[in-house]
Amino acid sequence: MRGTVYALALLIELFSGLLVASRLRAHPLAALPALDFVPPPPGTYKLHRIMAAPDGPVVGIDGRSQPLSLYTRRQVTLLGFIYTTCVDPEGCPLAYRVFDALKTAITATPALHGKARFVTLSFDPARDTPDVMRRYAGSRAVAMSGGLSWYFLTTRSARELMPLVEGFGQDVRVTVDRSSGRARRELSHVLKVFLIDRAGYVREIYSSLFLHPQTVLNDIETLLMEEEFQPTLLTK
Amino acid sequence: MDRINPRRIALLAVAWLALAGTALGDETCNSPYISKLINGQEDFVYVWTLGVEGLGDGSDKLVTVDANPKSKSYGKVIHALSTGARVEAHHMGFTDDRRHIWAGGLSDNRIWVFDIATDAAKPKLVQTIIDLGDKSGYLGPHTYYALPGRMLVQALSNTKDKGGRTGMALYNNQGQFIASYAMPTEGGGDGYGYDLAVNPKKNALLTSSFTGHANYMRPLGELIKDGEAMKKFGNTMALWDLKAMKPKKVFSVPGAPLEIRWSLNPKDDWAITATALTSKLWLVKQDGKGEWTAKEVGTIGDPAKILLPVDISITRDGKGLWVNTFMDGKTRYFDLANPEAPKQTYEKVTGKQVNMVSQSWDGKRLYITSSLLANWDKGGADNEQFLRGFAWDGKALTQKFEVDFTKEKLGRAHHMKLGSKALR
Repeated sequence: MRGTVYALALLIELFSGLLVASRLRAHPLAALPALDFVPPPPGTYKLHRIMAAPDGPVVGIDGRSQPLSLYTRRQVTLLGFIYTTCVDPEGCPLAYRVFDALKTAITATPALHGKARFVTLSFDPARDTPDVMRRYAGSRAVAMSGGLSWYFLTTRSARELMPLVEGFGQDVRVTVDRSSGRARRELSHVLKVFLIDRAGYVREIYSSLFLHPQTVLNDIETLLMEEEFQPTLLTK
Repeated sequence: MDRINPRRIALLAVAWLALAGTALGDETCNSPYISKLINGQEDFVYVWTLGVEGLGDGSDKLVTVDANPKSKSYGKVIHALSTGARVEAHHMGFTDDRRHIWAGGLSDNRIWVFDIATDAAKPKLVQTIIDLGDKSGYLGPHTYYALPGRMLVQALSNTKDKGGRTGMALYNNQGQFIASYAMPTEGGGDGYGYDLAVNPKKNALLTSSFTGHANYMRPLGELIKDGEAMKKFGNTMALWDLKAMKPKKVFSVPGAPLEIRWSLNPKDDWAITATALTSKLWLVKQDGKGEWTAKEVGTIGDPAKILLPVDISITRDGKGLWVNTFMDGKTRYFDLANPEAPKQTYEKVTGKQVNMVSQSWDGKRLYITSSLLANWDKGGADNEQFLRGFAWDGKALTQKFEVDFTKEKLGRAHHMKLGSKALR
């Protein structure tokens, strides 16, 4: 009986996943490059624990300092590093587009409401103050909208930032672009977006080659289909 | 608020520069997840070198050779870092952030992690991973393939019977074991492994197959006379669902398919490999219905002579392929304009025995090393051990420098990776 119920639940989840995927395809923001393969359905594959997400103080757009773990536990979290002056179309703007498309899909799926959150974390504390992050976020920065919270965070200093950057394995280096005739400071980095489970473990890392709303959404659902979350599983 | 002053920004920049370091790689054969490529002149060739008893310190070592013609030490060894072990050093690979090289040996389970970010000219050994055998049961780590934040390691053998049944092990960049995946033994799979390569656009992981410790550690002359042992070579390639890490299809590819190269041309979705024992080129691609297929598309030299095609290097546009054949010491160039029908257009004897071949991103420079396996290398005067640098003008290879690894008391020169200070 229990197996039958589980199978039924799985079917419902799978069907729900297909519905979400179709919504995703229908949305204009899915003007991102189309997937050239059929991804495995949610729940048919395993996302292993890659590493524990690092923790440390971060600052919200309200200027309050909080531990990052406040934003990476108890819900499935999609976290990406950005800097607000980034112009590389394969970098931060791509991540933004994917997050936007995902937000639309999650909003359209009540079953996912309150179960996932986004975190956009700056790795340019010198420029990206809470005020700058607030302007960057615009109307996206709300605690709960369409069933999803999206937090825009920064740090007070490089000293606070570096343990987070290193802990996630997010490489970044300072370069100077002189192509326009004027020196422009850039933070060269390989785009990485991190999927973190409810216990605070990184379960997937996306580079630009694998960052697509449909695969990310499948992964979020795969994590949510795992055994009921138990707070005792929290790493700290 | 604790804002950063300009001085602290400068310090941060220095720290980041030190951490981000220099991008390194055999530029046309790297994992696609390594985004920083050397598109100009490389400064270094790193050579993962097998130790030879009685030669120098006898240890496996990572050797740095200056490869910049404008440098005073061009073509010279500028650094050599011994591991203190001699375990059939074979291949190496970069982490996705290009801060580290992972390298290992085929007679052992250890994986050495070198920091190449702090000082690109002088790699530093920072970690030795020792749990591959205990965690996975696999032996002889071969391919190190960067995935975002992780390293996928293809092994050749297993700790139980030291045969060819093996698999892949997944580690995070900190060197912590995550999971293992056995090579397929159903659907025609033989369970053997050798190389792996990814096409992210197709969510496709391809694997090839060689043989186990019991074979590759035996002297070659003895092995080829052992009919039973010669049956224990891989004859398959497998296509995996990369996301799910599940095998989807097994292809029959007789004769030990080795290195796998996906075309780097964004318009292409095919991969090519060479079979060591049958001297054939095989193409893996989707047919008109989207079904993945593998088919023989070419011959390398005279297969009856068992030339042992050992390494291949694809040009960045997917239009050409270098092939090294160990036994006749030749480096051959195949025109891949039509990958369904490769045509050999050039060949040159580049050594009495040749193994690895690596090219620069612009295809103008080629590097060749000599050693296949300690017990498979030739003997006597034919046992040349070298790194040779060549220039390629589209018509002929011209040797520019040579490092004699025996004379320098280094060992047997095997796998190569390139480095550039320009990316620092």
